Amino acid sequence: MYPNEAAAHALQRQLISRRGFLNDVFTGLAGIGLTNLLAADLLGATAHASELSPARQLSHFAPRARRVIQIFCPGAASHMDLWEYKPDLEKFDGTPMPGEENMMSFQGKNGNLMKSPWAFAPAGQCGKPISTILPYLSKHVDDMAFVHSMTSKTNTHGPGCVFMNTGHVTEGFPSAGAWFSFAMGRENDNLPTYVSIPDMRGEPPNGKANWSNGFLPAQHQAIVLANHQAIRNLEIPPGVSPEQDRATRDFAAQLNARHAEDHPGNTELQARMAAYELAARMQLSAPEVTDLAKEPASIHALYGTADANPLKASYANNCLLARRLLERGVRYVNLYCGSRASGVDGLLNWDAHKTLKNDYERHCPIFDQPTAALLTDLKQRGMLDETLVLWTTEFGRMPTHQAGTTGRDHNPDGFTCWMMGAGVKGGTSFGATDPLGRRAELNPVTVWDYYATVLHLLGFNHEKLNFYYNGLDRRLTDVHGFVIKDIVA
Amino acid sequence: MFAFTRAARFVWSSGCLAVLTGAIPQAAAQPDAQAAFFKSRVEPLLVQRCLECHGADPKGGLDLRSGPTALAGGKDGVVLLPGDPEGSLLYQHVLKDEMPPKKPLPQAEKDALRQWIADGAWFPETSLDLFAATSEKRGGYDWWSLQPLRDVSPPELQAPAPERAGLVSRWQANPIDRFVFAKLQEQRLLPSPETTPRAYIRRVSYDVTGLPPTPEEVTEFEAACAAETGATDTIGDRACEVLIDRLLASPHFGERWGRHWLDVVRFGESTGYEVNHIIDNLWPYRDYVIQSFNEDKPYDRFVREQLAADSLDPGNPETEIGLAFLVCGPYDIVGNLDPAQAAQIRANGVDEYIRAATESFLGLTVGCARCHDHKFDAISQRDYYQFYATFAGVYNDDREVATGAQRQARDAQIKPLREARDALAAQLGELEAAVLARAQGKAAEYDARWPRPPVDRRGTTEEFAPVRARFLRFISEGRDNDPNGASGYRLDEFEVWTADETPRNVAAAVNGGKASGASSKPGDFSAAYTADLTIDGKFDARWLAGSRELTLEFAQEENIQRVVFSSDRTAAVSVDSPEAPFPCEYRIEISQDGDAWLQVADSYDRQPLNEAHRNKRYKDWEFRTEEQARLLALSAQWAEADSKLNQIPPLPVMRVGRLEQPTEVSRIFGGGDPQRPLEEIAPASMKTLERAAGSYTLAPDAPEKERRLALANWITAPENPLPARVMVNRIWHYHFGTGIVSTPSDFGFMGDRPSHPELLDWLARELQHPTEAAPDQAWRMKRIHKLILMSQTYRQSSAYRADAAAVDGDARLLWRFPPRRLSGEELRDTMLAVAGKLDTTMGGPGYRLYNYLRDNVSTYVPLEVHPPETYRRAVYHENVRASRVDVLTDFDSPDCAMAAPRRANTTSPLQALTLMNHTFTIDMAEQLAARVAAETGGVSVQEAVRRACALAFSREPAPAELDASVDFIKAEGLAAYCRALLNTNELIYVD
Repeated sequence: MYPNEAAAHALQRQLISRRGFLNDVFTGLAGIGLTNLLAADLLGATAHASELSPARQLSHFAPRARRVIQIFCPGAASHMDLWEYKPDLEKFDGTPMPGEENMMSFQGKNGNLMKSPWAFAPAGQCGKPISTILPYLSKHVDDMAFVHSMTSKTNTHGPGCVFMNTGHVTEGFPSAGAWFSFAMGRENDNLPTYVSIPDMRGEPPNGKANWSNGFLPAQHQAIVLANHQAIRNLEIPPGVSPEQDRATRDFAAQLNARHAEDHPGNTELQARMAAYELAARMQLSAPEVTDLAKEPASIHALYGTADANPLKASYANNCLLARRLLERGVRYVNLYCGSRASGVDGLLNWDAHKTLKNDYERHCPIFDQPTAALLTDLKQRGMLDETLVLWTTEFGRMPTHQAGTTGRDHNPDGFTCWMMGAGVKGGTSFGATDPLGRRAELNPVTVWDYYATVLHLLGFNHEKLNFYYNGLDRRLTDVHGFVIKDIVA
Repeated sequence: MFAFTRAARFVWSSGCLAVLTGAIPQAAAQPDAQAAFFKSRVEPLLVQRCLECHGADPKGGLDLRSGPTALAGGKDGVVLLPGDPEGSLLYQHVLKDEMPPKKPLPQAEKDALRQWIADGAWFPETSLDLFAATSEKRGGYDWWSLQPLRDVSPPELQAPAPERAGLVSRWQANPIDRFVFAKLQEQRLLPSPETTPRAYIRRVSYDVTGLPPTPEEVTEFEAACAAETGATDTIGDRACEVLIDRLLASPHFGERWGRHWLDVVRFGESTGYEVNHIIDNLWPYRDYVIQSFNEDKPYDRFVREQLAADSLDPGNPETEIGLAFLVCGPYDIVGNLDPAQAAQIRANGVDEYIRAATESFLGLTVGCARCHDHKFDAISQRDYYQFYATFAGVYNDDREVATGAQRQARDAQIKPLREARDALAAQLGELEAAVLARAQGKAAEYDARWPRPPVDRRGTTEEFAPVRARFLRFISEGRDNDPNGASGYRLDEFEVWTADETPRNVAAAVNGGKASGASSKPGDFSAAYTADLTIDGKFDARWLAGSRELTLEFAQEENIQRVVFSSDRTAAVSVDSPEAPFPCEYRIEISQDGDAWLQVADSYDRQPLNEAHRNKRYKDWEFRTEEQARLLALSAQWAEADSKLNQIPPLPVMRVGRLEQPTEVSRIFGGGDPQRPLEEIAPASMKTLERAAGSYTLAPDAPEKERRLALANWITAPENPLPARVMVNRIWHYHFGTGIVSTPSDFGFMGDRPSHPELLDWLARELQHPTEAAPDQAWRMKRIHKLILMSQTYRQSSAYRADAAAVDGDARLLWRFPPRRLSGEELRDTMLAVAGKLDTTMGGPGYRLYNYLRDNVSTYVPLEVHPPETYRRAVYHENVRASRVDVLTDFDSPDCAMAAPRRANTTSPLQALTLMNHTFTIDMAEQLAARVAAETGGVSVQEAVRRACALAFSREPAPAELDASVDFIKAEGLAAYCRALLNTNELIYVD
């Protein structure tokens, strides 16, 4: 915290403390979206709403983006095999890595330098070389801003994924989506604010910690929803008819209304009644969002939802679902392509320790077309004007092969992420690893810098978006972070 | 409007917050006068305005903590010219309001600075300490919570008006009430009237036991109150005391308050992080906590046990389990061969212990001083690493816990049994060796039997005479890395080629082949390792065999003559890698109909793969009949002896932390980075609390055990003000919803200030040295509970009063009892209790509301149906990290990735979805309906409603409510009515 912010901060804390009881209710509902309802019906005066929600709906400055979709390829997708062309790696293929001949990394010993199994070819107007294993996505480079000099604090998948999502390597901190939900509240009346779409193969490393609310009120955690997985407890239970369900809810509401009359001044009671109404509306609206059959055949073809590979078809359906969620006002979507560690490295996610070529020939076709289709679709609908698209992974891979294998080990010292859409300067590449791809060399960037930039595009000063917990005003960017101005349009 | 402001800061000691007013004294040339001037005018200024930047980690290289460093200047050169203020860069910057940045000094301070430089810029011998005094930006050693407990007396109450004399006399009896009343009066507030006996028993039952009162308990209490007071709606003091004594003596008290403690200490039963495996032997700590609360264990003893039980009562499992406190947090178990990363992971582990211990017992966020001095509290990086040295030998692991006598007794029991067994093993070994030697003598003869080359995991081919087959079966009889293990091998591909001129692989999926065979299944994505991987035409992913057999079916009958199979065709891993174990002894059979099988190949005419397999074959083939008989007899005897040995129960192995003597002296890590070791550090107390609590420093290589014991003794010493303050505040927090300090694990600068500082100290002293009770009551908490529960403050109505709310909106001053929502655990327990289904069995292994899927990492899938074996209290649920548990997670039960000293209280539609739709609600609604029907004879709907209301709300239905309920039941049924009751606000809120 900067000293000149202490006073404003103290005021915020004081307000929260004074109304702590009510504030929890408020933030709880803000997450799923009852700001107006609360302001109008519960608090009686809009002045209270701003007092109670210092950051709610109130960006620090005009936002460029109003919604975010964050595509995450867990397992550490290799920067030098997908996004960052390294001619020197071809040149020195099979020779020892200078200065690090005896390097020990996550799984142990490393062999010589290993070139990418795929050629790189210039793409788009900007002519940026992209791996030929991503033919669909390479068509979008003119809209992408690459950050090639990302660094992580850890070389382990679980903490790495959590770090990339929350800005902290340990569990218990809110994810970027939870922060945004906390900061902005809802944009629609019938759907959650923050949704996480896991891969059909399972959850990413560290699972739910990746979309946790951490110490923020529980409502800011993502609701898990995917084409293969409905919102939990959304369905009326078996044996209860819709008519009886409605009658029961109405009767409970009647009892609650009577109880509330006897308990004036307890706004939490009304809030809970309103939550039941919102739940009922979600039951009506969620099936509409997830009904992909409403989409025309041309859209299904674009995404590849009927692909013979069931993994690709599933991911394509999730991409399409993500677009429909964003379209209906969900503020933040996490979309995963790949899952957790398995008994076979690189089988379920991008963790290509042993057989890089085989692994990525399995993953890239699942990932490439549907993701590119999502970008195309967002663009053709004009949604990119207000939607920020993030592509992230937890760290990179080594330029060497692992001893005795044709795969690459973990590399936290340099990797690539990109973003595109609202407020992003397309066709740019920021930073670079060294000529072999070993370490971020030109303009190294941290996960905190990446999120400082994201928050900037969302209209927030990342140093001012904070929440007191156990001794500190906590931030998504911890105590670090600089906005990467070069990729902001 | 009433509020605690950040500006109104408590500084209790004779503080250094010097207010600089008045005239500047004349030149203070004498040394004593210089020292006095410095002390009173300059030091506060330097400490509070300058040292934050120009101290330990000096900006611009300028360190103003001592004369030599200050005079040396910084990167801009010399800044202080003694005797020449105008020529001094420091004074110039201050004069131009450039320093401190954005916060110009008041004129009086500028003048003092000028005077000081003009007089020669005198400095004391010892360096200035940034922590010496509280400033606008941080707390110093004079911070309120670090000061000794004050000996305060409850205030004498004055009636604000004669007609309030009765009220005041009622609030005069209990010291707690006097403190609270006086504070209310300061804000011109009056307390609320006493609540009803019915509301009181509901409130206090939930508060003390976490369960609702039964209708009979309510009736009995109301009757007792009426008999005592002669009025229908007045709480009787005697009845109240009987009730509280009963509740505090109930074993449910420990279940409720133990759960609070588990929140504080971040207790969770999985490792967390990426792997997140379940830890099935942590539950004894949960039982220990419950038991400690139930037996009213003195709090100082409770603390000492959790830090140093192995010194207090070594080898006693019932005490040593307290040490699980240290290791019940999350930790990273992924193996990491990068040494720098491995060191960082270890440092994270020790950090976790430091945070848990300091936040739980001291209410200080010492963890914030890991990379640099604490930004807000008087906690240095040195303080942090003294704790690091204290915990440097602790590891998250199991340990055998037993006394020396127990170990000796067991050894004595085991010795003869082991000798008997080992003698048999020796005989067996001799027999085998003899047979083996004989076989080895005939090696040439054997070798002739296996002319073919050995198998190769990178591709093994079997050819046989062309044969017509629809099916082919591969049966493993030994794995390359274990001659006695037939299953558990892996295959990346299995090809079956036809005898055609252009052979076709008819096993391949693209050619219509099908593969079946059990796999070791990883749960949520079982497709990951299926037998299909053997016919997918790719050599990457491997099938993980879950039994010996793989069966292949072709699209139609084929004429086949060759198979090729491998576990590592592309040589992706080394030939002995455990990632690709290969079946090296096998038989291959074919069939036309899947019924009758014909063997076409086996491995036994191949050379054995290695020495182990060679010997296995020797033994299988060389044994003669009489030797075979002897082998069997000896094996049976050995098995019997072994079984006897195994019947001696092992010494208890518990999750209480592995404790090792550190091999290296601890060091400060620069910036928190283990790769930047700085000066050596010894285990020692915090300088932060030196003034109040004294200090100790051990030798840098002190025995591990002594390090924790010294800390435990220092923390629980009566002079240390924090443990008692922090614990009574936690008690207050759970009784009233908000603590006297609303941040229960942070008594530092960023935490809250106490709303009732005198009451906090009075309670803390009362805990340490009870004034009225016998000495054996020291540190016992049930007394404090009773004092609170009996108070008028606690007995107040929770009714809203607009006038009071306008002054104190969240009732922090307790003008009413703050109503609250049930916790997730209380709600689930309540649903079970009112349905008559709560299983009150205490202790033992927990139950699970999820399916546990374990592969390399763990996945927890919430249950769709909660079976009756989950009907125990929620505190017995096996709470794992990063899982979602219906009802509990919805209603803010913490994940415990970090401590949860104060739970969130949220309202969300997900709660509504779960409570309306999860089958648990439906089951409980049906059980409640059945119970109500049974208990009322099932004849009168009115009676059913009355009984249901008594169970769920502890009251009679109102007439209109009764009519509406009867109508609803007639239309929708009793179970639907009960489902509605379980979703009401009245059930889930306590007045």
